[in-house]
Amino acid sequence: MGKPPRAAKPPRAAKPPRPPRPNPFAERPEVAVEKDERFLRAGSRRDFLFLTLGTIAAAAGAWWLLPNRTKARLLPGEAGKKFDTPAARCGLSGTRRERFLDRTLTFDDDVAEALYSATRRVRTYARAEAGVPRNNYHGRTPAGTYLPGWTLQLAGLASGRTESLALGDLERLLPRVEQTTRLVCVEGWSTIAWWGGFPFAQLLAQFPPAPGARWAALRSAVNLDGRGNPDPYYVSVDLDTLRHPQTLLATHLAGAPLTLEHGAPLRLLAPVKLGLKNIKAVTHVEYTALQPPDYWNERGYSKYDGL
Amino acid sequence: MAARKAPKPKPAPPPPRLRKVVPKHHFLVRLTHWGNVPLLFGLIASGLSIYWAAPVFRHAPDPVTGNRDYFADVGAFVARALHDSGGDPAKWIYDHASLGTGLLAPALRWHWVLAYLFMLNGLLYVVGLFAGSGFRALLPRPSDVGGALAMMRYYLGLPLAFVLRRPWPHPVVRSKYNALQRAAYFTMPIAGLLMVASGWAMHKPSQLGWLERLFVSYDGARIVHFACMLVLGSFVVPHVILVIADGWDTFRSMIVGWSARVKEGDRG
Repeated sequence: MGKPPRAAKPPRAAKPPRPPRPNPFAERPEVAVEKDERFLRAGSRRDFLFLTLGTIAAAAGAWWLLPNRTKARLLPGEAGKKFDTPAARCGLSGTRRERFLDRTLTFDDDVAEALYSATRRVRTYARAEAGVPRNNYHGRTPAGTYLPGWTLQLAGLASGRTESLALGDLERLLPRVEQTTRLVCVEGWSTIAWWGGFPFAQLLAQFPPAPGARWAALRSAVNLDGRGNPDPYYVSVDLDTLRHPQTLLATHLAGAPLTLEHGAPLRLLAPVKLGLKNIKAVTHVEYTALQPPDYWNERGYSKYDGL
Repeated sequence: MAARKAPKPKPAPPPPRLRKVVPKHHFLVRLTHWGNVPLLFGLIASGLSIYWAAPVFRHAPDPVTGNRDYFADVGAFVARALHDSGGDPAKWIYDHASLGTGLLAPALRWHWVLAYLFMLNGLLYVVGLFAGSGFRALLPRPSDVGGALAMMRYYLGLPLAFVLRRPWPHPVVRSKYNALQRAAYFTMPIAGLLMVASGWAMHKPSQLGWLERLFVSYDGARIVHFACMLVLGSFVVPHVILVIADGWDTFRSMIVGWSARVKEGDRG
């Protein structure tokens, strides 16, 4: 029962050899072209003019955008003012510079907000990788005079009331969680640390903010500068960030209660934000519809600070 | 009926004088090439001001000055070598190469403005590379190893040949660029891309966590960002010297787009 042997195919007609396809990545030889001399000359004139104007515009723009201190260093004394006066006359004033640079910060903040996802978790690390963040009070760690009698005040709630919670109340009402995440400072350094505390989302669930609230204004017990002068610290944080599952009201660092330099007894820990939003020794949280003022934004940094 | 006037014969336009030129660079490549000059200058100046706030390359604090920054050490060394006693030697490099020390907030705002413009510039550059088919001249090829060695041999022997007044012919280059140029011009867009990627990894390590992991860690991205700055910066010096050495036609070709060197086998 063998299959019938296949009929031998007739020999194919010999095709003409295909021309080799050019390699699309191979460099083509440079070919000279003939152009009208007048056309070339006009083009050159246009391009050189364009470059000259561009150079002048870039130099003027750079001078306009330079911080005053840099200008004073580059051209000290009266020399720098010789440039500033005509620049201001053209509309390139210091006020406009600040407004322009602020708008860039806002644009960058909008990009950050667009990138933000409520469900995306930040990277977590093993406890063995954790260190202790630098004390960024720069030698001006506050005295703990505020510790006895510390409470967390909540305002702007749906209930219309103002809540005053001691650490024991929080302990009773909220679950405890631990996480090892990275704290990133606007200066550029960062530290992996092992934190313990209460999920902020749980506080929001227990004490819901008034409808229409989008922001929280957080204030710190630390409100004196190194010389003892008033220097209150306050930040604005969007509610989306506070609802993030890894945003904590932290009470513990490296397994021990927070020390004064890390914001005893309670600090905000929002790993989706730069360190400067992670306000230490929080005393007040107020939910608002409009964006509240922010300490570092008033000093030239961005408002949103999303990582 | 008045007879219509015969139209005056117009003088024939003089025949166009033709000139042979070799098209070199697409308009967008030229535009973005010059755009890179102020952008990189400003990005490095503001970037170093940001770096000053928290250097990534640190050592144990110096017992006398308390300085921890290797980069500041380089500046102090240069200040000593130049006998520059004008300011604090530990700040020398920041006073001369950056916006200045203690200017983190203005430097960050500068960096964001210029970084967005740099990304736009890079995008236009890539469009120009493909629109003008210039990308083919940048791609590495197997002959580049030998070509690069021949060019290195040429550059290393050039001073001695000049002193001894011996003929020292340039290696024959049949492509747009020689192998060393090609390696450098191919590296630059890659360094730029790494610059942008490591920048975003630092800027948004939470939302772009995958990008941060690509550079292993947060500090990994900082180190790559710094290294790319050094690569881009150190490219500029030989680039400018070689363009000056090669002459006006090469410089002009990056402004007007064409070269008047049409001889076969001539280097552009």
